[in-house]
Amino acid sequence: MKKIIGILSCMLLVAGMAFAGGGTDAPKTDKKIILKMGDNLPDRKNGYGAVIEKINAEFIAAHPNVEIVTESYQDQPWQEKVKIYATANQLPDVLKYWSFSGMMKPLIDAGLVEKLNAKDFTGYGYMSGSLEGNMYDGSLYGIPVSGDMWVLYINKSLFEKAGVAIPTSWDDIIASAPKFKAIGVIPVSTNGKEGWPLCELFDNVSQRINGDFTRVNAALVRTAKYTDPDFVSAAAYIQKIVKAGVFQENLSTSDYGDARNMFGQERAAMYMMGSWEMSLATDANFSENFRKSLDVIKFPVIKGGKGSADDLLAWFGGNYFISSTSKNKTLANEYVKLLGKRFGTLAWETQACFPAQKVTPLPTDSLVSKKLLQIAADAKTTSGTPGLDRSDNVFKEDHQELIRQLCALMITPEAFAKALDASADRASKVK
Amino acid sequence: MNPLFTNKKVIALLVLPGLCIMLFAIAIPLLISLGLSLTKFAGFGKMTFIGLDNFFRLALDQTFWKSLYNVFVLILVTIFFQNVLAFLIASILTKITEKTSRILRTIYFIPAILSLVVVTKLWVNIFHPTFGLLNKLLHFMGFADSGRAWLGDPKTALWAVIWIMIWQGFGWALLFFYGGLMTVPKELEEAAIVDGANKWHLYTNVILPYMMPVLQSIIIIDVVSSLKQMEMIYLSTEGGPGNTTQFIALYLYQRAFKYTEYGYGNAISVLFVIIAVFFTLTIQRMFKKAVDQI
Repeated sequence: MKKIIGILSCMLLVAGMAFAGGGTDAPKTDKKIILKMGDNLPDRKNGYGAVIEKINAEFIAAHPNVEIVTESYQDQPWQEKVKIYATANQLPDVLKYWSFSGMMKPLIDAGLVEKLNAKDFTGYGYMSGSLEGNMYDGSLYGIPVSGDMWVLYINKSLFEKAGVAIPTSWDDIIASAPKFKAIGVIPVSTNGKEGWPLCELFDNVSQRINGDFTRVNAALVRTAKYTDPDFVSAAAYIQKIVKAGVFQENLSTSDYGDARNMFGQERAAMYMMGSWEMSLATDANFSENFRKSLDVIKFPVIKGGKGSADDLLAWFGGNYFISSTSKNKTLANEYVKLLGKRFGTLAWETQACFPAQKVTPLPTDSLVSKKLLQIAADAKTTSGTPGLDRSDNVFKEDHQELIRQLCALMITPEAFAKALDASADRASKVK
Repeated sequence: MNPLFTNKKVIALLVLPGLCIMLFAIAIPLLISLGLSLTKFAGFGKMTFIGLDNFFRLALDQTFWKSLYNVFVLILVTIFFQNVLAFLIASILTKITEKTSRILRTIYFIPAILSLVVVTKLWVNIFHPTFGLLNKLLHFMGFADSGRAWLGDPKTALWAVIWIMIWQGFGWALLFFYGGLMTVPKELEEAAIVDGANKWHLYTNVILPYMMPVLQSIIIIDVVSSLKQMEMIYLSTEGGPGNTTQFIALYLYQRAFKYTEYGYGNAISVLFVIIAVFFTLTIQRMFKKAVDQI
């Protein structure tokens, strides 16, 4: 028995030493506070991400004991990461997310988002409706950062090289596809892997056909149906665009970076994306020739359609929130206030993106930013939140999956419309 | 035997740590997963008990069945293409000089030691329709019309991702077969040859039966790794285009964390475990007789 006890004692001693080995950290003497942040801006040296880094630097200068640790991914992976963190109750202190009903609302309902004091942000020149989009039941939960418009970026020198005039309609773009292909250039690149840019395309093409942005909302609240002829025609028109070879061949697997690089490296003549890409004009990753050739145009019309080029698919995009589980709420609150104070000015000065705050044109503004200001000023109607973000999360994912299948020519426009309508119907019945 | 090791209390104490790990790492998570599979739950917020609804829904979910079908295709390709090729090359490697064999084994194993992210990105770039090496090579060889978006075309996407998986997994299969072949006693081979066995008989009646335990392990690993395929698909096609390359583990993740249908994701995971256990037991039963005869 003594032998047994002896052996077990040795085992316990070894086990004890092993566990003790993991806990021998010296007690921390400094009072460094780590503020955890997360966003969808992996490029921290250019554009939008660089603006956040500047604000971080200003915040750290005012709070030398704070270290900001940021986690950044592209849109879709970041959205998934937030959901995983929410599941584990480990959201970062400050996070960029989207105020859309299918995204922020579930987090608010679960008590994971901290309320903000609306009075703290009234003097920062926010555009009408931008702060309101972050309010639920009269409380403010986040601050907007960008005002987003759906546009087409163009490379003028590639248009000249191909002998193509700047398009005013999608019919022009379809007709120009062979000319671009003849010089080895993709007519239009966009991010098809994540699906959402194709959903924006669907909303916009639908509007260009039916002349009414509110039809999307009507389909979601069930006063209209996605199987109505205007939506089916929009789906059919998108397939017509795809079949004409307007987009890159690998549309369904081409992610954000791939699509952006194809345009930036002058392998695509146009780039269908939001106004947040105005920083392409100053992005040092791309050639000077590209930056000089860069221009932006309104989303083209469709011949015979009721929509005009001055009907603008626009919404307030990314928003910043504070996690209710944050251990540094006061600091996080101070950070968000600084963000609200500084973002608009810095974003415009550096031509990083179109902020959700009023901006003053500067002599140094790029051609692209001037054009974007003009596009915003010309808008006769605007869409508000895109269709995929107006319902629940399952509808959003269904919408993205179905539009990918539509663009891969795997389903007919009718089947697409039927399945999308079924998803909208299901979502409308969810309490 | 040392009486210490026949003492039941000692045995129980020695088994306890492993049992605790099994309990906390496998049994309890499985039970939690089973519980969650009976709920409608986003992973956070309100949880509603819905009984077996998730399982009924799963039975009618075409994407789930498509993902399971793709797993079967991968298992078949792995077993009947990758393993056959790996066995043939491993056989050749046992017959050549040790120096050449070592160099070739190292070369074959390189893809297996590369990070999955690196391998996936490498092949995504090779398959890229605009910048990709494959299309450029086809163009150079005069087959420009054969070029395509290999991962974006529904006709080729599944085969392209299976190719990437096999390219990386081949080194492991080769290593197992080579290791197995090296354990076959030379006397056994010599005796068979003396008895008049030709190469075909030698391999089918002597070497392969002797390697049954190795073969059994390889096939179980193939099945489990096929079921677990997730990261590579996520990084390359994300299951697209149109679920053409959807696999069960990725679908589980997408339902749980993209669609925030945590309850439904757990229902898939419960079925996933049942399928994996079923496969493993079936393979073990299939091989039992052959292994027992050795």
